[in-house]
Amino acid sequence: MFLNSIKQFSTIVQNHVNVNHILSQSVKSIQVRNYAARKGTRDRKAKKKVKAEVVKVGFVPHNQRNKLKLLAQREPLKFDDSWKRNPTDDVYVAKYYKWVVYPFAEAVKCHQETHSPEMYNKPNANLHVTIELNMQGEKKTRFVDNFTSVVKVPYNFDHGEERTIVVFSKNPDEQNEAITAGATLSGGSDLIKQIQNGDVSLQDFQYCIAHPNILPELVQLRGLMKKKFPNPKMGTLDVNLGKVVDKFLNGVKYQAVKDDYEKEFGCIKTVIGSLDMDIKHLEENFSVLINDVNSMKPRRPGTFIDRCILWSPPSQEVLKVDHAVFLKELNSKGSQNVFEKQEDYDKEEEEEKGERVAL
Amino acid sequence: MWKSIIKPLNIVNKAFLSPTENVVHQQLRTTYVLKRKTPPRLHKKNSDPKPLRSRHYVYELVKNEELEKKANINVILTTYVEGLGNKGEKVSVKPKYAYQDLLLPGLAVYESPENVEKYKDFMTNPMSDVEAHSSPTAMLTVRSLSGIMLSVVMNKDTHWSLKPWHIKVSFRKCGYIVPEHAIIMPEQEIKGPNMDLENREFFVTVKINNKETVPVRCRIHHWSTEVKDRIPYASEFWKEKVEPIFDEHSSVLNSIPHKAELKK
Repeated sequence: MFLNSIKQFSTIVQNHVNVNHILSQSVKSIQVRNYAARKGTRDRKAKKKVKAEVVKVGFVPHNQRNKLKLLAQREPLKFDDSWKRNPTDDVYVAKYYKWVVYPFAEAVKCHQETHSPEMYNKPNANLHVTIELNMQGEKKTRFVDNFTSVVKVPYNFDHGEERTIVVFSKNPDEQNEAITAGATLSGGSDLIKQIQNGDVSLQDFQYCIAHPNILPELVQLRGLMKKKFPNPKMGTLDVNLGKVVDKFLNGVKYQAVKDDYEKEFGCIKTVIGSLDMDIKHLEENFSVLINDVNSMKPRRPGTFIDRCILWSPPSQEVLKVDHAVFLKELNSKGSQNVFEKQEDYDKEEEEEKGERVAL
Repeated sequence: MWKSIIKPLNIVNKAFLSPTENVVHQQLRTTYVLKRKTPPRLHKKNSDPKPLRSRHYVYELVKNEELEKKANINVILTTYVEGLGNKGEKVSVKPKYAYQDLLLPGLAVYESPENVEKYKDFMTNPMSDVEAHSSPTAMLTVRSLSGIMLSVVMNKDTHWSLKPWHIKVSFRKCGYIVPEHAIIMPEQEIKGPNMDLENREFFVTVKINNKETVPVRCRIHHWSTEVKDRIPYASEFWKEKVEPIFDEHSSVLNSIPHKAELKK
């Protein structure tokens, strides 16, 4: 009814007169625009509106909801007792002072004492080492990735693990050499075919080692091997197969693991020998391991290895050892190298920048 | 009659005994360094300064002396204070600790020229009238050692006779650094494995800095490498009182406070 009356009214009023002027306030709400909107207005407005994506979160158990909050409250894993005082007396309560830093030989002797036949009676117990790392990369927000490696130590020991190794080579002599060194299986193109057929499973082997002469044929197995595929960086692609097999069979295996929350804290736990070995042999094993770990140090000033702890179950004692002594040679050179490298790095960066500007 | 006497007495009481006003005679820190949020405008030459507006009275705090960290003060100890030093020693401590725990109880005096002169002799000759301790922390260690019960875990299967290094290792295992030369063993030899000695007490004497001695309560426990041969674990064995291995030790062991008593 009402609209009809408006229509009638507008027919009465002449066309050139604006209807809105005459109509009352309530009628103005149905305003009609007689001119076009500017081009692209709607598109612009649509672009401005950013759709907030609703991320669906599944059910989180109540005890895990404030996990980050709880982790933030946690005491930092990085050990720091620099605020504690040095002991002055010959007898003292250890917890009120800085940790005792034993020379390596003395720490081993301490463990040998606790494991002597008169006390724990386990003189052949394994000697474990915990290496705490500062995983800080070249920049504050960058961190060293988790890394795994096997080090050849000068004095072998029984690590108690069963390590299975498969070796590929075209030369039958080299295959035999690998087998005598202790490889589980070795072969050439036949073995590759067997693996492709499914007669031999790669799942049964922890390490795959290859001679460069068989590499073109081995490429077919890349999909099956995935990360195990031999490469020179890991040391699994080598000419001297006997040595490599020996390294992977008897070497010290270690894995540096970063903490999920405290990213700059990394930790390695491994075995370097048994307590009944000669202390000097243990020391050399330790030295080799430490230097191998330190080779992963990123190009930044400061130390990579924070602390080394020797422990040996069933005793619960943990003894901090002075590892810096073993790094000394590498350190004095390394620190220089680090600066040189740093400088090179800066130069490279500058050059890069320069190129960009030129472009 | 009594009322007439008590009334004037009350007045006297009020006048003399109760303080008329509560005066704090202590030094107060009331210094605040402030800065005007809006600096006042400059005035013209040869004319009166412009009146300050209300915005010129809004200030920003630059420094609050109350919140500043106060410097350490030097005091001279009048007695041996555990963890600090001997009599006559000059120590630098936090002011609040100095006032509350040293100056007020009379354990120390201010380092004034008079006091320095007065306690000079103690510095040069600490043995003058009281026995001096070998180090400030020696007595703390003595207190800690006298409260523990040292478990000496020995093997159940191989023969042994107790030596100082066994005690040293046992100490190290429970967080005490005690070198062998500081351990005085009981006169009689203790040999094992002997199940009669299991969970029985004896004491060793520890000599700190070759001066302070403290008897430490020890207990023998037998341990086997094979899990099946081990003695079943007794819960809270340290709370039970047991017989000493040697009767001569009982008097000393009774004089050491027992764990169970310490808890109370």
